[in-house]
Amino acid sequence: MSAPVLSVRDARRHYASGDTIVRALDGVSLDMRAGEVVGIMGPSGSGKSTLLLIAGLLEPPTSGEVLIRGERVSAPDAELDGLRDFRRRNIGFVFQKANLIPFLTAAENVALALEIDDVPARPALAYAEHLLDSVDLGHRMGNLPARLSGGEQQRVAVARALANDPALILADEPTAALDSVRGRQVIGLFREIADTRRAAVAVVTHDPRVLDLFDRTLELRDGRIVAETVA
Amino acid sequence: MNLALKDVRHNFGRFLMTVAGVAFLVTASIGMIGLYRGIVADALLVIDRIGADLWVVQGGRAGPFSESSAISSDMDRRVEGVDGAAGVRRFVQISQQFEHEGRTLRASLTGLDYPRDTGAWVPLVSGRHLANGHFEAIADASVGLVLGDVVRLGLDDFTIVGVTRGMVDISGDGLLFVTVNDAMAVAQRRTSEEVLLARGASGRATSGSGSSVAQDSKIAAVLVTLDPAADEAAVRRAILAWGDANVLSRADQRNLLLDQRLWRLRIQILAFTGVLLVVMAIVISLIIYMLTQEKRHQIAMLKLIGARNGVIVGMISVQAYLIGAGGLVLGLGLSNLIFPFFPRRVVIDPGDIVLLALAIAVISGFASLLGISRALKVRAQEVLS
Ligand SMILES: Nc1ncnc2c1ncn2[C@@H]1O[C@H](COP(=O)(O)OP(=O)(O)OP(=O)(O)O)[C@@H](O)[C@H]1O
Ligand SMILES: [Mg+2]
Repeated sequence: MSAPVLSVRDARRHYASGDTIVRALDGVSLDMRAGEVVGIMGPSGSGKSTLLLIAGLLEPPTSGEVLIRGERVSAPDAELDGLRDFRRRNIGFVFQKANLIPFLTAAENVALALEIDDVPARPALAYAEHLLDSVDLGHRMGNLPARLSGGEQQRVAVARALANDPALILADEPTAALDSVRGRQVIGLFREIADTRRAAVAVVTHDPRVLDLFDRTLELRDGRIVAETVA
Repeated sequence: MNLALKDVRHNFGRFLMTVAGVAFLVTASIGMIGLYRGIVADALLVIDRIGADLWVVQGGRAGPFSESSAISSDMDRRVEGVDGAAGVRRFVQISQQFEHEGRTLRASLTGLDYPRDTGAWVPLVSGRHLANGHFEAIADASVGLVLGDVVRLGLDDFTIVGVTRGMVDISGDGLLFVTVNDAMAVAQRRTSEEVLLARGASGRATSGSGSSVAQDSKIAAVLVTLDPAADEAAVRRAILAWGDANVLSRADQRNLLLDQRLWRLRIQILAFTGVLLVVMAIVISLIIYMLTQEKRHQIAMLKLIGARNGVIVGMISVQAYLIGAGGLVLGLGLSNLIFPFFPRRVVIDPGDIVLLALAIAVISGFASLLGISRALKVRAQEVLS
């Protein structure tokens, strides 16, 4: 069997806060395979976002390491700013807010991610339109973000995360700003992406009604994984 | 895709406002420099056009454009006798204020040594040059007189036979050309009035004005045209040897004007222009900084999706340069539109515009540095905040 898409090994992340130390992450290990959708739950402050930041190479762990497709890319001494190219090719991010560029149309927002990866403008736009089609936004491609609903914006953000065909998609509360129907639609989209593109998807959510769409669900508390439920 | 252009198009109103602000600063700078160039051009107008190789002026003095100069009334005949002098004309110029149809007008009364000089070197927009030894005048349009007007100067009536445009002295007063003899008569008349006034004021019956300069002469200088074969230095030596006259070349006059009389103005205008450029730098910097600050989230997002710094730097600096270039073009257009209506000549010199463009390029570059340094400090994680 091939190496997992993502391996987090005994990761800790400590923040100094005054005299005390906050253990945002306190020894978490996690493997994710291609085509797998993993839900991450837990109370506020349990370390969910911290785990995604470390897995997404945005913060180095205080101790432990991160491997992507078997390659050791992050450890306490890692120079993360130099990993921008690596991040672009391997990891897609979706957050609670869509963070679209307001002066670009939906299609341009997605195409930008491709152009940044040196895809020429015309094919980039064509592929962006194809991606928007696949998230059911074919009819909204020319709209500026301000003209899209929250759910539509979030789907554009998902299409943008897919642009470089990443092996790993990390989503931090992507449905928090959406009603439950649209929230379920977005998680359904991740399920589909994992099934068709063989991407590994980690989704942080507070909504227990979408658990059936995950292959397994981790429960975090005080920076540790306290439970794992396999669907 | 060009992010800066898309952003500009999206926020076009704001961009236009910014460009308009910068354009006004550019216009003010062009006006400042143009005003100086205009004063220089006006000051040099007569010196350059009148076609004299040498100016013979009062001994020990720097000529009529720098300080007062009066030479004896037979100086022209003495100069005529000097070897190498081909043509000799007397020159007189006095500031004159007079009444015309109930208005008070100002002119710089300039003598033409008729009949040797009919004013043929003065470009006319209408009418003709002088054709009579007396009571005819050529007026610049800025004086406020038109062809056929009759004005009273001193004790006599003068008819405007020709009109010029843009012929003014260093202070912007329009030139009013009459014959030298008429000019002297007007000046003399004024002097006797002044003497009477002075007597009345002091209650004493003194006859002289106390000036060291002979009052019988109002001739300021003698203009010399040299033989093509003449030795300028020899002519100069011969006249200087008399002891009561000084000789200036056209170049001397120019230097005296620019380096002596106008240097303070030049420094002042340069300083003002410098202040304007600094203000422009601050304005563009602040705007770019604000625009960057406002885009922190987007910049963080760009970093998150792996954009290289070049993409971010480009977005900021292209916008700064668009603001600078837009301001320059609009400011230049505005200048061409409004400065012709200004009371004094504003010269828009292409060389100055090139320098201004360079200055704006440097300013835009400097202004974007501030935004760029802010943008590069943005961390991808800020997307979450
Ligand atoms: N930069 C930081 N400096 C100091 N403490 C931090 C920092 N980032 C996170 N923490 C702390 O680490 C702990 C975990 O934070 P984290 O954001 O991972 O929680 P979370 O599970 O995502 O919570 P939520 O559901 O509210 O988003 C919290 O106690 C938080 O205060
Ligand atoms: Mg969180």
